Amino acid sequence: MASITDTFGDLFENRRRTALAVVGVLALLAIPYSTTPYVTDVVFTGLVFVMLGVSWNLVAGYAGQISLGHHAFFGVGAFVSAWLTTPGRANLPEAIQSPALLAIAVGTLVAGLLALTLGPVLFRLSGHYFAIGTLAVAAIVQLVLLDQRRFSGGSTGYYVQNSLSEDVFFVLMVLATVAVILVTYAIVKSRSGLGMRAIHDDEDAASSLGVNPLRYKLLAFTVASAMAGLAGGFYAQFSLYINPDSTLGVPWMVDTLVVVVLGGMGTMAGPILGAGLFLTLDTVLRETAGELATTIEGALIIIFVIFVPGGLYKLLKDRYGDDEPNAAEAQAEQAE
Amino acid sequence: MVATDLLVQSLLNGLLLGGIYAVAALGLSLVFGIMDIVNLAHGHMLMVGAYVAIVLFTALGLTPIVGMVVAFAVLFVLGMALQRFVLEPVVGEGMEQPIIVLFGLALMLQSIGRIVVGSTAQATDINIPGDAISIGAATLSFPRVVTFVLSIVLILGTWAFLKYTTTGLAIRATAQNSSAAQYMGVDTDNIYVLTLGIGTGLAGAAGALLSMLFPITPYVGWSYLLKAFAVVVLGGVGSIAGTLVGGLILGVSENVGVLYLGGGFRDIISFGIFVLVLLVRPHGLFGSSGGGE
Repeated sequence: MASITDTFGDLFENRRRTALAVVGVLALLAIPYSTTPYVTDVVFTGLVFVMLGVSWNLVAGYAGQISLGHHAFFGVGAFVSAWLTTPGRANLPEAIQSPALLAIAVGTLVAGLLALTLGPVLFRLSGHYFAIGTLAVAAIVQLVLLDQRRFSGGSTGYYVQNSLSEDVFFVLMVLATVAVILVTYAIVKSRSGLGMRAIHDDEDAASSLGVNPLRYKLLAFTVASAMAGLAGGFYAQFSLYINPDSTLGVPWMVDTLVVVVLGGMGTMAGPILGAGLFLTLDTVLRETAGELATTIEGALIIIFVIFVPGGLYKLLKDRYGDDEPNAAEAQAEQAE
Repeated sequence: MVATDLLVQSLLNGLLLGGIYAVAALGLSLVFGIMDIVNLAHGHMLMVGAYVAIVLFTALGLTPIVGMVVAFAVLFVLGMALQRFVLEPVVGEGMEQPIIVLFGLALMLQSIGRIVVGSTAQATDINIPGDAISIGAATLSFPRVVTFVLSIVLILGTWAFLKYTTTGLAIRATAQNSSAAQYMGVDTDNIYVLTLGIGTGLAGAAGALLSMLFPITPYVGWSYLLKAFAVVVLGGVGSIAGTLVGGLILGVSENVGVLYLGGGFRDIISFGIFVLVLLVRPHGLFGSSGGGE
């Protein structure tokens, strides 16, 4: 199909970057078969960060809507998939028991639908009101599930069962992450992506030129939330344990924010680079700084916003540049 | 069915609690109204204020009333430093920068809190003798009455400061039109530093007052941020009277709601009210227009 080659043409024009991506994906696929389970676990968490970062970046970085409730959709995806693979724990009928992949797909769908339902309401708010509104909605979701012990396991948590092996899951997670990146890229490059950036830069101006702000905001919010649900489903089925305190907690939002801010907001490569950097930092910090790790992460957010506003992506780009400049890059730069 | 006595009791307790909520919200509202910044770390600063009172109480046996004054001072300085060294460099670059920076700060305060004081809930005791007040069948406990009176004093004090002092006039002028204020010789940068100081100082004072009524942990920050913001939305940004009314409404709805729905619903009630008000009146019940753009 011509449209697909058009959409992804730019992506593959830069040969060095394509080669890097292919090698990266192959290396990731080999991880469960060539390293220790510990490394596999760490890298899996990194992939969750990539999914959360790339998807949140679509709403916040491109459409300019700072949602602080991304973790709620992550948690909803996790819990819905858990209910479907392990209905017995929530006293749900065994008839709905489904294979893990179907469960994750339904979790993704529910998270997306939830965003589609809440979106028109939340987008009555803008700016700070939207940020706090999403934070409040996420808090309500968490409080309701904490209260409904029957469905969430309360503070004891919820043990998840499925029949797929960890290795297979890891490989599927790598593929899902690649899919999330490609879908986001396709949206960003499409007409809708242009609409989102126009809203980000100047909503009134975009609106007066015939761009319907609600439509594009809603698209970004729904797609991003579904992706967060997907990440949550994979997380639940891989780690086999979730609970409303941690799985629906603000820390996931924090991680998402750190990943995007470190990497570079509003760029495609930013969240991916950010996830890599954050994962390394987080793993090293937990071993060396122990309890101080979170404090240092908070400080890093502040330092990056003040001193490295473009994130790691801009830093690398300014230093090394592109040896194969192409039209898409130039366009993106102009857009920024 | 809930007995009438109990209902009246909850209603009165809710009103008294609402005073503290209003103080907590006033700081947030001032900063939002004057600087157009939502201090996402406001709840966490309240938590720090509470711990200032708790530490003074456990280490020296000082009454949290003194703790409140110290908490105000500590958070006042912290807020001024925050504006001068952290927010000033990023304001004006876009809406998301302050949001992200303050989110990072909230995270730091919470994790530092956990390291320094641990995760166990702690509270203070008023530590001065006094008697409960009876109104009909209802009894108002002494600490609740004292915290309410102090709350009203703080709110009136802030109002008088803004209304009757030259600095207060400069703050109001800056809020209305910062360029015009600048032309008249107001150093708006200093006004912003002072405003954030007062805003966070009030958060600290509210935290110290709350420590007399509720146990505090380093994790209460988000919850109180949302409550304070709910009050701001109820009362309208920048309106002192509206904030007081909003605080009382929230306090009463929480306490009466808990009576019918159970303790697990306390926060769900406030956040629910908050989202409902945003839905019906995105600019607040008493707010005329303005914020959010």
